[in-house]
Amino acid sequence: MAPNHSNENGSIGSSLHGVTAREQIFSFSVEDGPSSQAIRSDDPTAKFALPVDSEHRAKVFKPLSFAKPHMRAFHLGWISFFTCFISTFAAAPLVPVIRDNLDLTKTDIGNAGVASVSGAIFSRLAMGAVCDLLGARYGTAFSLMLSAPAVFSMSFVADAGSYLAVRFMIGFCLATFVSCQYWTSVMFTGKIIGLVNGCAGGWGDMGGGVTQLLMPMVFHVIKLTGATPFTAWRFAFFIPGFLQIIMGILVLTLGQDLPDGNLSTLQKSGQVSKDKFSKVFWFAVKNYRTWILFVLYGFSMGVELTINNVISGYFYDRFNLTLHTAGIVAASFGMANFFARPFGGYASDVAARLFGMRGRLWTLWILQTVGALFCIWLGRASSLPIAILAMMLFSVGTQAACGALFGVAPFVSRRSLGLISGLTGAGGNFGSGVTQLLFFSSSRFSTAEGLSLMGVMAVVCTIPVAFIHFPQWGSMFLRPSQHEERSKEEHYYGGEWTEEEKSLGLHEGSIKFAENSRSERGRKAVLADIPTPETGSPAHV
Amino acid sequence: MAIHKIILASFLVYLMIQFSHGATKERLFSDLEKDALDVTAKPSRQGVLDAGIDKLSITWKLSSTAKKQANFKTIKVKLCYAPVSQVDRPWRKTENELFKDKTCPHKIITRAYNKSSQSFKYTLDRDIPTGTYFVRTYAVDAKDHEVAFGQSTNEAKTTNLFSVQAISGRHKSLDIASVCFSVFSVLALLVFFVNEKRKAKLEQSK
Repeated sequence: MAPNHSNENGSIGSSLHGVTAREQIFSFSVEDGPSSQAIRSDDPTAKFALPVDSEHRAKVFKPLSFAKPHMRAFHLGWISFFTCFISTFAAAPLVPVIRDNLDLTKTDIGNAGVASVSGAIFSRLAMGAVCDLLGARYGTAFSLMLSAPAVFSMSFVADAGSYLAVRFMIGFCLATFVSCQYWTSVMFTGKIIGLVNGCAGGWGDMGGGVTQLLMPMVFHVIKLTGATPFTAWRFAFFIPGFLQIIMGILVLTLGQDLPDGNLSTLQKSGQVSKDKFSKVFWFAVKNYRTWILFVLYGFSMGVELTINNVISGYFYDRFNLTLHTAGIVAASFGMANFFARPFGGYASDVAARLFGMRGRLWTLWILQTVGALFCIWLGRASSLPIAILAMMLFSVGTQAACGALFGVAPFVSRRSLGLISGLTGAGGNFGSGVTQLLFFSSSRFSTAEGLSLMGVMAVVCTIPVAFIHFPQWGSMFLRPSQHEERSKEEHYYGGEWTEEEKSLGLHEGSIKFAENSRSERGRKAVLADIPTPETGSPAHV
Repeated sequence: MAIHKIILASFLVYLMIQFSHGATKERLFSDLEKDALDVTAKPSRQGVLDAGIDKLSITWKLSSTAKKQANFKTIKVKLCYAPVSQVDRPWRKTENELFKDKTCPHKIITRAYNKSSQSFKYTLDRDIPTGTYFVRTYAVDAKDHEVAFGQSTNEAKTTNLFSVQAISGRHKSLDIASVCFSVFSVLALLVFFVNEKRKAKLEQSK
């Protein structure tokens, strides 16, 4: 059935009309063709289960609902990401068996740990582009189903080299982080995006904790069927592999790229224009805020990933816990993500309601610095109860900082949202690789010293957040610009398009986003009387 | 809040574990009587032994220089790592505190103490890792505390060592299953992708 084009700018200018809510459009995917033809209502937003804004993004977050398309996308996204975390860190609790089977040394194990987080640096960058160009569903499915073979290939591993190579390849699947955050960012409105991204990211990160309990349990069950340990651990990897395949199929069959349909359908019907990759890439890379977020995330998520690889062994060696108990401690670090990261996102949203973007930036700085200080304390704690207390406070601070950071990231760019999520995510893995290499792969520092030094480095590398400045909203220490034009959100987001592109109406999605992002002015936005900008409103209002 | 209760409960549990360890904390390896037992361990064949297949002939008897044999209740025979297999592997480290010492993690056999010469034919377990080993026997008293030991090598752990090659743990059926599921995963993705592109093209042509 042919979509409904409006003709005021010719067929090219109507490319984004699917997103402006002034048209009658599909809100269901192509497979529902015949039924959607029958729907003709004057209020297009009535088709959604949740209240939506003008971009059809949900204004309300209902975690217990599975309604199409918003909540379903949320659940598919975070569970996919959770599955990938399970796969990436599945080896960590089984290392005592693997190191005997493959005759590994401490250096081999350390290098494999670095490799397990390094692959994602590249895949997270690529994923940003894939989401912008192919949509979040295929981004997620590619990541899950193309890395499943790497998980299964643990059955072939025979020495340190192949072990490292397989862990490296499995690590690629951490790119689902980017597709998950991208998916929620297009499905949920700016006012609640901190909380939604925090929940999605946090519940996904929990996989790193759950795997420390799941894999030993699976290993034990397989041994009960009569397998020797050196075969049982290989077979245990089939479980994360199966989970990945199942999630991939669920994402493709149940998910939807955008509130209004799937990307390929909307693009082919002319409702969403295909953007040029070079432009998307250029605007992401040119924006200095992207790189500050890259560094910041490297010392919140990066620290968290390093701890996932290192903390179990630390408690085992320093406090002589059994492997089982050390695993429980390691798991509780990862499980704190369940509430810590959403809390960070929520705190960011609350701060934005009161103080606008400045509140978000201050929240981010406070949470990340406090977390890093507790990391320093953890390294210096010499008694077990103090170490556990320090570790829990450290986990809450750092994980909340991750959530708060993704309350800021969606506002850095509209055109290059996917790529910026990708670059920031890659920064997390980069930071983890750097900290593991500097502090935990040689005998120069004891693990305790390494932890404290990592905390110091994190405090220092959090300072750059003070330099993030938005002309329309200000920064931590500077007021918003007083300039007539630059103080408008439309100017910032419109600045990503050339005049030629603007004349074709390609930037209208960004303008819609700019209007919706007025909330980042804080309480003043409610009080101020802001006139509708001259540029960007659809012609047929 | 629930999380505070959990933290408090875990503190108490760990404190209790700490205290239960306290009783054994001071027992040191250097306090044990050396060479109280004469131990020999003969591999069933020359060269590197295969785990799960090859055997060791182990014999032990009370040494003429032993003094504390009145306390001996049980003999624990263990397989131990030679220094070369401990390099860059802190989980196999030799420590003086007995409860921390990780030199001899593999149990061979435990038998009641008998004055006469004892022997045992040990088939290497299938979970023995690749490495170089020797055999040590601990003489344990009624309280399950070690009092003396003997080993098949010298004090510097350089003589009479033997090497073991672990099983690979790989199985043909596992390999085949792995390939099948991997191929399925990639194919399923391709099928979905191509199918959807086709449907979208059909929509456009309408």
